[in-house]
Amino acid sequence: MISTVLILTIRIALFLHIILMGVALWRVWNGENVIDRMMAVDLLSTLTLAVLVLTALVFRERIYIDAALGLAALGFIGMVAFARYISDDRMY
Amino acid sequence: METFLQIIAVTGIVIGTGFSCVGVLGYFRFPDVFTRLHAVGKVSVFGVVFLLIAAAAATPLSWGHSVVLIFFLLATGPVTAHAIASAAYRIGLEMKDSVQDDLAEQVRGREE
Repeated sequence: MISTVLILTIRIALFLHIILMGVALWRVWNGENVIDRMMAVDLLSTLTLAVLVLTALVFRERIYIDAALGLAALGFIGMVAFARYISDDRMY
Repeated sequence: METFLQIIAVTGIVIGTGFSCVGVLGYFRFPDVFTRLHAVGKVSVFGVVFLLIAAAAATPLSWGHSVVLIFFLLATGPVTAHAIASAAYRIGLEMKDSVQDDLAEQVRGREE
């Protein structure tokens, strides 16, 4: 009984997160300024992380959480380097 | 025990999805960059962390990976938000309805 509720909840959450990803992608396309678009890319990376975690819950595999860990590290380093580049015109 | 863990998982998924939806709604409704950054930080910290708590409860084989990712997100979320806010301030984006700006004197004093 509760297992059916869990599966249904995971499916609905996955659907909602994919809709939110589309909305964030639309905001990358026409944001107001450069920081706004950069925040939308960060939001898209975070929602991809959430979709990977939900995929791990659907298939009950641990490899998706490992992929989410790699994506989180790459997104963090990319965002910090890009913010530094915008504010100072330098990458390091 | 199995039922208890699954109830924890359902609760975590519902709370995390709610935080994600509210964060994206705030990202569209708030007026300027700095307040939007507040809403985006909620998606990054609370939304994914509650989903990871659900994943750690529902798949007991791999809860260590989930705990590592939770601590990584809790460490890097504020750092990313601070870097983006600092860049937005340095390129001179305006704050709507700002009452007091203490950082302006500091930045001007450092540049002189």
